[in-house]
Amino acid sequence: MAITVSYAIASIVAVPRSAEPLTTYAGVSTAAYAADLAAGLGLLAAGLLAWVEPRTRRLGLLALLAGIAWFGPDWEGWDGGTAFVRSLGPIVTPFFLALLFHLVLALPVGRLRSWPTRGSVIAAYGVAAFVSFGRALFRDPFLDPYCWRNCLYNSFLVHTDPGLARTLDDVWVRSSIVIGLLLVVMGALRLLRASGPARRVLLPTLVPGLLAGAGASAYAVALLRTPLEDPRSGRFSSIFLALSLSVAALALGLAWGVLETRRTRAAVSRLASELGEAPPPGTLRDALAAAMGDPALEVAYWLPGAQRFVDGRGHRTESPVPGHGRTVTPIVRDGRPVALVVHDAALLEGQALEREIGSAARLAVENERLQAEVLAQLDDLRASRSRIVETGDAERRRLERDLHDGAQQRLLALSYDLRLARAAAEAAGDREHATLLASGGDEAQAALGELRELAHGIYPAILAEAGLAPALATHADEAPLPVELDEVPPERYSTPVETAAYLTVTEAIADAVGREATFVSVDVVREDAQLVIEIRDDGAAGTSALLHIADRVGALGGSLEVEPQSLRVEIPCE
Amino acid sequence: MRVVVADDVMLTREGIVRLLKEAGIEVVAEAEDADGLLRHVRLSVPDAAIVDIRMPPTHTDEGLVAAQRIRAEHPEVGVLVLSQYVEPSYAMRLLQEHPERVGYLLKDRVFDVAILVDALRRLADGETVIDPTIVSRLVGRRRREDPLEELTEREREVLGLVAEGLSNKAIAARLFVTERTVEAHVKQIFLKLRLDTNPESHRRVLAVLAYLRAGAGAD
Repeated sequence: MAITVSYAIASIVAVPRSAEPLTTYAGVSTAAYAADLAAGLGLLAAGLLAWVEPRTRRLGLLALLAGIAWFGPDWEGWDGGTAFVRSLGPIVTPFFLALLFHLVLALPVGRLRSWPTRGSVIAAYGVAAFVSFGRALFRDPFLDPYCWRNCLYNSFLVHTDPGLARTLDDVWVRSSIVIGLLLVVMGALRLLRASGPARRVLLPTLVPGLLAGAGASAYAVALLRTPLEDPRSGRFSSIFLALSLSVAALALGLAWGVLETRRTRAAVSRLASELGEAPPPGTLRDALAAAMGDPALEVAYWLPGAQRFVDGRGHRTESPVPGHGRTVTPIVRDGRPVALVVHDAALLEGQALEREIGSAARLAVENERLQAEVLAQLDDLRASRSRIVETGDAERRRLERDLHDGAQQRLLALSYDLRLARAAAEAAGDREHATLLASGGDEAQAALGELRELAHGIYPAILAEAGLAPALATHADEAPLPVELDEVPPERYSTPVETAAYLTVTEAIADAVGREATFVSVDVVREDAQLVIEIRDDGAAGTSALLHIADRVGALGGSLEVEPQSLRVEIPCE
Repeated sequence: MRVVVADDVMLTREGIVRLLKEAGIEVVAEAEDADGLLRHVRLSVPDAAIVDIRMPPTHTDEGLVAAQRIRAEHPEVGVLVLSQYVEPSYAMRLLQEHPERVGYLLKDRVFDVAILVDALRRLADGETVIDPTIVSRLVGRRRREDPLEELTEREREVLGLVAEGLSNKAIAARLFVTERTVEAHVKQIFLKLRLDTNPESHRRVLAVLAYLRAGAGAD
């Protein structure tokens, strides 16, 4: 840090403010001076900030080096500098573009992700080094027709070769165009391919980075067309201003990114305190998503007993897999993984998240996992309850059908036969047998009637055939007390829902009769995804527990409210 | 009179066919399902079709659907739907679109040949036939404030017969009064119950059934 600070101070001293003699861009105008300092010092400051952070240390180093290289031209043109210092300037200068290239492609944490980027960065350094050292060894500034920053000194000169020096200049100018354009293209591709949260993080650094790349290219093109650089000309001075401002903005973006990462880390480690005493299911995911600025973040809890993953609400989820810019980070507590967090890879690297998440938050994660486990078991239980109820209902329906198609039909046929036999006996004048057959016919009719009642009691066919509304209307027709049935929604629901609703009403009516009510009013309405049944009567207080209704409604995830003279049931109906 | 009989259970179908033959009614065809029924009706255009409400494939309301199709395609063919359960909803559904020449009877009622033959005659005359069990159940329905109490004994009797689908002429014959008297009774009943359907239309049966079913207080 001390080195950086002293370098910064030295640079401020070195950067000339006067225009005579004009040896650097900073001397052209106050604006150029300010922009030059802002870019270089900005890079140094942002680099220092990033360097302190372990996660962005490499990035910080790159920014620091770029900041040092940025001031190369100023050292070269330092009017009061020694020959050695003024000779060092042009050596570091070419590395600025290579470092900028590296820095922008290594965003956001300082690592190059693919072989092509790695290859091009190495190539850029190679060209920069070749040109830098070549010029140091063979360029005599005194013999350079285009020199303007320092036309006297080169402390490293071993052999004067103006032709070679000119070629090296030319190579560098052309390479700069290529590197600048590559930076623009590769950076733009990065930005286009990034996911939402990653783009949010990359934008403030990548965009100025691209502009700086474009500026470097523009500068090289200008040099190619006008080898004798004139800092006062509008073209050169505006390119310099644009380049400096882009670099300054890049430095600002870098600093913002580092601070943002710090904020995220702090938020993650503070997580537990924000959750409160008894957070509702799924709160942890929301809190973590907010802390990390990644709305698509998912948390999956592993249930060792059931051998599956569930979310905070206990619903089964797919086993999380990394990919498409998403990382899966396990959260470990007491050496056991308790949860997997799926999040955007660009925001906070997996290990960082696992490191930063505090022990209190770890406890909260374990808590939520236990809660999810209980919820998942409840879900299982509900499913099994509703399976039992459904199996029973299907069995009843089958029984009713068997009765209808079997015994009832046979009894019907028997009564038709008895009727015919009776008619035959009457025709033959056999009154004794006719009477006997008549009484047999009546018995068959009575049996048929009882069988019908029985079958209806086992399962009301009308419910399955025509639905809730007609079935309830029929029940109301036959009830032993007035039943006021408001318009029941005519649409069909699933069999378990219809059966539960039907039994709720019939049981409640029977219960009202038991409590000597003089009327029952039944109201069935659909409220969004709920079928709501409200039943009132004027019987004696004390509705019985209606346990098996509660069971059925509970099996469907519904609710039951019992009051002395009323009942309210809500059944989810998709 | 020529009829087609449709019932998927052979035993009961045979029983009905034998009863009909005994009563001197010609059974031109028998069917086991709705498709067969519709085919036979198209081929032989009978006076009436006797249809079981539960038939393959789903054994729910195939008979009802077939009855409505027959009424739509062959207005001259009457349809008598038989059911093992007393279901006013089905009866009302049957009357909804084509309120004449349709009937809904409980299956074990037709073992009385006289009732069966009478029902077929009434269909042929363009009347409607609703099982008396349904009507008596609806008339006897418990109500908190019973508007039927405003009716006289005779008016209540006439109301029941209207609900059973009888025409004024048939009601007059049943009660040994003149048709004009029945007309007056019916008008009076509709006035007292505030029914706004034309008391002489075919729609009156459905209107009365719906009124009885809605219970007290409903318009």
